[in-house]
Amino acid sequence: MSSALELLQAEFAGFLAGQPASQEFSGALLPRDARLPERLALYRGNVASACRDALGAAFPVLRKLVGDEFFELLAHAYSDAHPSRSGDLNAFGTRMADFLAGFEPVDSLPYVADVAALEWAVHRAYRAADADPLRRERIAALQPEELLAARFTLHPACSWLVSPHPIASIWLAHQPRSKLALPASLQQHEFVLVTRPRWRVEVLAVSAGELVALDALRAGMSMDATIGTALRTDRDFNFAKAFVRWLDYNVLVGLEESCTLLDS
Amino acid sequence: MGIGLRPAHYADLLARARCTDWLEAHAENYFGDGGYDLHVLTQLRETYPISLHGVGLALGSVQGHAPEHLRRFGVLVRRIEPQLVSEHLCWGAANGRAFNDLLPLPLTHAALTLMVDRVARMQDVLHRRVLIENISSYVRFAGDDYDEASFLNALAARSGCGILLDVNNLYVNECNFGVSAAAQIDAIAPQHVGEIHLAGHLVTDAAVIDHHGARVADAVWTLYERALRHCGRVPTLLEWDTDLPALDVLLDEVEQAWHRYDEVEAHVLSA
Repeated sequence: MSSALELLQAEFAGFLAGQPASQEFSGALLPRDARLPERLALYRGNVASACRDALGAAFPVLRKLVGDEFFELLAHAYSDAHPSRSGDLNAFGTRMADFLAGFEPVDSLPYVADVAALEWAVHRAYRAADADPLRRERIAALQPEELLAARFTLHPACSWLVSPHPIASIWLAHQPRSKLALPASLQQHEFVLVTRPRWRVEVLAVSAGELVALDALRAGMSMDATIGTALRTDRDFNFAKAFVRWLDYNVLVGLEESCTLLDS
Repeated sequence: MGIGLRPAHYADLLARARCTDWLEAHAENYFGDGGYDLHVLTQLRETYPISLHGVGLALGSVQGHAPEHLRRFGVLVRRIEPQLVSEHLCWGAANGRAFNDLLPLPLTHAALTLMVDRVARMQDVLHRRVLIENISSYVRFAGDDYDEASFLNALAARSGCGILLDVNNLYVNECNFGVSAAAQIDAIAPQHVGEIHLAGHLVTDAAVIDHHGARVADAVWTLYERALRHCGRVPTLLEWDTDLPALDVLLDEVEQAWHRYDEVEAHVLSA
């Protein structure tokens, strides 16, 4: 059976979630005067603004795309559908992309769900574990066949996504002090790599083959097998270009040489 | 005297020579596995003693015991090795939802039993004594068994925790409920007080709000002197979280606090 304290907290929680305060609940509270409804409203306001601010911090581009006023409504609707479950507000917002995909008021902005998915990847990357870059001397010391046989570890902050909309271009154009123009067409696929070379998160539009290659590397394939897989998907896949990018942006952080090859 | 660590001041703090005695960081802002915030905190801990102040455990939530949150707190404590660790006398989660706010508990025997248990678990996981802070509130509960001072005294005696005395919160509650902050200070068990918080507040028609967005009010400085006379030399934090000013404004508030501190000490020595 629930204790009086548990029932009281459940009542308070119900009120904060938007239900009216019961007479019994209000009767247990001070001050017993006309200020009580205003005081209770302050708590509701605090909860709503904490949710809105947390989502605003995680989805700044989404906020710019829909405007502050609409974002407030969105934050409210999202909080009702997927309330915070953690005392750490950085964990709040994990289902925003899914939510937007089914949120009728944004039907006319089909790209916002994928922009939200990208922003969540950026948000996660910012707090992901650190990793030292793979030293270029280590690569340079390998024979070409050793490089092809090697397996690589990717930086924990790295992730990638594909969208039928140019979400990386949209994201980049909305960064503070950005001089980039918005893409002319919003119906154009983009293959997007999110990475954190050191502390700043970078968003890069790459090729289809490059993301297939990253899938393969993450799955533990050798570089040789990775290149083959990427080329089967994307005949224009430029391995040299992708590999230089991975080193420049600290995508690769570890290397395991193939034992069989070293033995032979 | 310490100040709250906020991202807007990272660059200034990293570039300057030591400018305050210690820094207090909100623990949850550093719960990530890595990244810039944790990097800065790790750098600053080389220069400054750190206090980790939890704002999300919601210890008094009947349904809200959060072992994963506590585990992450433990990881951070092992990483940073703070001088002080603190949380609040509050609740914050029910019906499967976290409200991410410091909500007031009824100050009853049942709430005390719950808090003693939760503080004990926190101290077990973190392997250290923690400080528990009194909060400000807009509503209270009829039929409380304790006032804040006697609740905190009992919690400290039974759980072995210390008390983080927020003088501004006592003042805000005095304005909101007519309970004398001076009397609450006098009633607190001084041997348990391990830290004092000072902050600014906002006066509105409905209530006084503890918004941490202004300089410390005169009435709160007077209460601070009273708390120092009562508790002795206790580490003091100047909190400023909203409408954050330049670092120098915070450091000027620290100077004000030192001024009060010296006056009280001179008074005590001459008595």
